[in-house]
Amino acid sequence: MNAFRITWLFFKVGVLNELQYRVNFVVQLFQSAIALVVGLLVLALVYSHTDELNGWSQPELLCVLGIQILMGGAIKTYIQPNMMRLIEDVRDGKLDYALTKPEDSQVLVSVREVRIWQVVDLVSGATVLAVGLSRVTTDLGALDALAFGVALLFGAVMIYCFWLLIATGAFWVVNMYHAVELFDGIFQTGRWPVGIYPGWLRYSVTFLVPIAFAVTVPAQAVTSRLQWQTLALAVVFATVLFVFARWFWRFGLRRYSGASA
Amino acid sequence: MTTLTETVPRREVGSARAWADFYLSTMRLAVQEQFQYRTANYFYMFGMIAEPVIYLVVWTTIADQQGGSVQGLSAGYFAAYYIVWTLVRNMNIVFGAPFWEYRIREGELNKDLLRPILPLHYDIAYFAGWKVVVIVLWIPLAIGLSLVFDPLLDPRLLEIAVFAVAIWGAYLIRTMFQEALGMLCFWTTRGAAIFDLWMTTELLLSGRLVPLPLMPDWVQDVSRFLPFQWAFFFPIESLVGDLSDEELLRGLGVQLLWILIGLAIFRVAWKHAIRRYSAVGG
Amino acid sequence: MDRAVHVAELRKVFDVPEREAGLRAAAKGLVRRRMRKVEAVAGVSFDIEPGEIVGFLGPNGAGKTTTLKMLSGLLYPTDGEALVLGHVPSKRGRDFLRGITLVMGNRNQLQWDLPALDSFELNRAIYRIPREDFVPTRDELIELLDVGELVRKPVRQLSLGERMKVEIVASLLHQPQVLFLDEPTIGLDVTMQKRIRAFVAEYNRRHGATVLLTSHYMADVQALCKRVIVIHHGRILYDGQLTGLADQFAAYKTIGVALENGQVDLDHYGEVLHRDGDWVTLRVPKAETSVVAARLLTEQAVLDLTIEEPPIEDVIELVFAQEREE
Repeated sequence: MNAFRITWLFFKVGVLNELQYRVNFVVQLFQSAIALVVGLLVLALVYSHTDELNGWSQPELLCVLGIQILMGGAIKTYIQPNMMRLIEDVRDGKLDYALTKPEDSQVLVSVREVRIWQVVDLVSGATVLAVGLSRVTTDLGALDALAFGVALLFGAVMIYCFWLLIATGAFWVVNMYHAVELFDGIFQTGRWPVGIYPGWLRYSVTFLVPIAFAVTVPAQAVTSRLQWQTLALAVVFATVLFVFARWFWRFGLRRYSGASA
Repeated sequence: MTTLTETVPRREVGSARAWADFYLSTMRLAVQEQFQYRTANYFYMFGMIAEPVIYLVVWTTIADQQGGSVQGLSAGYFAAYYIVWTLVRNMNIVFGAPFWEYRIREGELNKDLLRPILPLHYDIAYFAGWKVVVIVLWIPLAIGLSLVFDPLLDPRLLEIAVFAVAIWGAYLIRTMFQEALGMLCFWTTRGAAIFDLWMTTELLLSGRLVPLPLMPDWVQDVSRFLPFQWAFFFPIESLVGDLSDEELLRGLGVQLLWILIGLAIFRVAWKHAIRRYSAVGG
Repeated sequence: MDRAVHVAELRKVFDVPEREAGLRAAAKGLVRRRMRKVEAVAGVSFDIEPGEIVGFLGPNGAGKTTTLKMLSGLLYPTDGEALVLGHVPSKRGRDFLRGITLVMGNRNQLQWDLPALDSFELNRAIYRIPREDFVPTRDELIELLDVGELVRKPVRQLSLGERMKVEIVASLLHQPQVLFLDEPTIGLDVTMQKRIRAFVAEYNRRHGATVLLTSHYMADVQALCKRVIVIHHGRILYDGQLTGLADQFAAYKTIGVALENGQVDLDHYGEVLHRDGDWVTLRVPKAETSVVAARLLTEQAVLDLTIEEPPIEDVIELVFAQEREE
C-alpha cells in the first residue's frame, strides 16, 4: 500500500542521514548503558527488601523493564521525532511543504524522521526481556507469544495515536512543547506493573496516556497472566483511538487551512 | 571647570551595598520573568512529579506488603519523603554543566565576560530569584499531593527552621559543583559523557532514588564523604526524619563546608579556564 | 479549461484575537476572547494565461502571500472562486498537487545533512516521476542553475543563495505547470538575485510554465514580469503591464541639472526633489518635460541635463499613498 512505500522511502533517507553521525551511535550506547544500569540497580534495590511486588517476582519485573526499554526505543526512534517535528513545523510555517505534496499528509508527517541510533534501546530492551524470560518459572506457550506480539503492536499504535493527538493540538496551542516534556516523565510509570498504582493514577496511565497497554499488557502476556478480555480491550481501544486520531488530524488540518467549521 | 588632566573621581556605591543591589535586582528580574512563564514552569514541575510519585507508590506498596514498614520506615514516612523531595529537587536545579557548553559555543560567554561581574554571581542571583517563584508555585502542588498520599509529617520548629536554610544550602552546593564541572567545557566538547556519569553517581548517592538508609551500608559510607547527599537527602531528612538538634545543626555546618570546597574548586578552575579561553580565543 | 489560473471575487477573512495591553485586559482575555475580523483579501479577480509570468507586488501584509496560499490549496477561501489548471485548489487533489510547486524564500525543505542529490531522489519517488523523465529533467535544471558541484555537498554546507538554487531544482523535478514563488529572492545578495531571476525567465521560456511570483523587491518584478498585479489592503490596485503603471499613477518625469550656481531658485520650473551641491533634481509633469527642459537650457547656466522616467519604487509608493488617501 502507498503508506508503506512512503514509509520505506523516508526510512532509507533517514538511515542515510544518521549514518553520517557515527559519533551519535557511541553517545547513544553510552546513555542507554547508563540508563539500563540505573534501572537494574533500582530493581536490585527493591528486591533486596522484598521477594515480590504486587505478585510480580523479580524475573517477571525484569521482563517489564525490558519491555519498557524496548517500547521506549521504538517511541524515540520513530514516534517522538516525527511528532516533535510536526509541532515545530506548525510553529515555523514549514508544514506547508508537507501539505503541497501529492501524498497523504498524515503519512508524510508520521514517517519523515527516523533516529536510527535509538535502535540501541530496542536491542538492550529485548536483551533484558530475554534474560528475564529465561528465569521466569512459568512456561511460555505459542499462544502467549502470539498474544505478546499482538499486545506490543497495538500498544505501540496507541502510543502513536496519543502523540498524534497531542501534536495535532499544536494547531491550536502553539506551545505544545510543554506537553511533550510531560510524556517522558509519565512514561517512567511503565517501569512497574500498573497494578501497584492507586486507582486514579492507574486509570490515567491506561486510558489517558496508554502506557499500561504499551508495557504492562505485553508483560502480562509474556508472564502468562494475560486475560483474553484485556487483549480484546486493547485491540478495540487501539482501533477506536486510531480512527479518532485520524479524524482529529483531518479536523485540525481543515481548521489550519481556514475551512469554515 | 576641569581641565583634561584633572578628572573628577567617579563616585561609586560602597562595595557591600553594590553587591546587595546587584543580587536583589537580578533576583527581582528573575521573579518577574519566571512568573510570566508560570505555565511553562508548572508543566515542568508537573512532569517532574511523576518520578517521585512512582517511587512513592513502589515503596509504600512494599511497606504495605511487609506489614507497614520497610526497614523501620513507614508508608507515611515514604509519602512525606517524596513529597518534600519535589521541593528539594526543584531547589537542586541550577545552570547545569552542559549550559557552559552552550554559552561557549553560542558566543554568549564573550558578552558575559565584558561585564565587570563574574558570571557566577549572575547565575546564583538569577536562579535564586527563580527559586522564589518555584517555592510559591510548589505550595499548591504539595497540598494536592498530601491530600492524595497521606504523609506523616510532624516537624518541630527547629526542624522547619533548619529545613528553610538547608534548601538554600543545597542550592548553593549544587551550584558550586555544577559550575566547577562546567569548566571542563573549556577543554573539551565531549563534556556530555562526563556530566552523564556525574549525574548518575549523584542520582545513586544523593538520596534522590531512595532514602539513603535503604541503600546498602557500603554505599552509605561512601556517600558520607561526597557532597551529593548534603544537597538532597539532608534537607529532606531534616524536615521529615527524626534528627537530633545536634545532627541538624552539624548538617548545616557540613553544608557550609561543601559550599566552600565547591567554591574553591570553581575559582581555581575558572582562573585556568579563562586563561585558556583567552589564549585559544574561544 | 484554457486559463491556467482563474480567480473571481476571492475573499479571505481571518479571525484575530484582540487584546489591549495590561494585566487586567490579560485576565479578561482568559475568560472571553474578543475577536476581530481582518479581511486579508477583499475580493480579488484576475485570470492568468498559461505561460505568463505575473508579479504580485505589495507591502508586507498586503494580502499577496494569502492569495498565493489560497491558490496553492493551503488556505480555504472565505468567499469567491479560484481555479488552478481547472482544479479547485483547496480540494488538494493529487493531480492538482502534481501540477504545481511552491517555493518559499528562506524556508528549506531539503534534507539538511544530505547532498541535494539525495533529496532529489526523494522527490522523484514522492511525485512518482519515471526514471526516463527524471534524469534529463534533473540534469537540465542542474545545468541551468549551474549547481553541478553543489549537489554533492550536504545542504547545510551551502550558502543561503546556493541553498535557494538547489531548492528550486528540487521543486521543479516533477515539471509542474504552475509555479508559486513566494519571496524567492529574500535575503539573497544582489548577484544571486539576478541569477535566480535569469533562471526563472529562461525556465519560463523553455517550458512555458506559468509563474506567480510575490515579492516586495521591485527589481524582481522589473526583471521578470511583464504583467504586475499590485495589491494593497487585500485589494487589487492595478493589474496590467508594468510600463503602464507609471502612466496611470505617476505621470511625471525627473529632470536632473548640473548648474554653475547650485543655489539658484528653481521652484518655478518644477518641484525640487534634491539639491546636492550644484546638482539639482526636479520633478516635472510628463507633458511639460520638453518645455521645462528647454526653458532651463536657455534661462540658466546649465552644465549638464538629464531626463529620466520616475523610478518604479517611487511610482509604487505613490500608488500606495493614493490608496491611503481614499
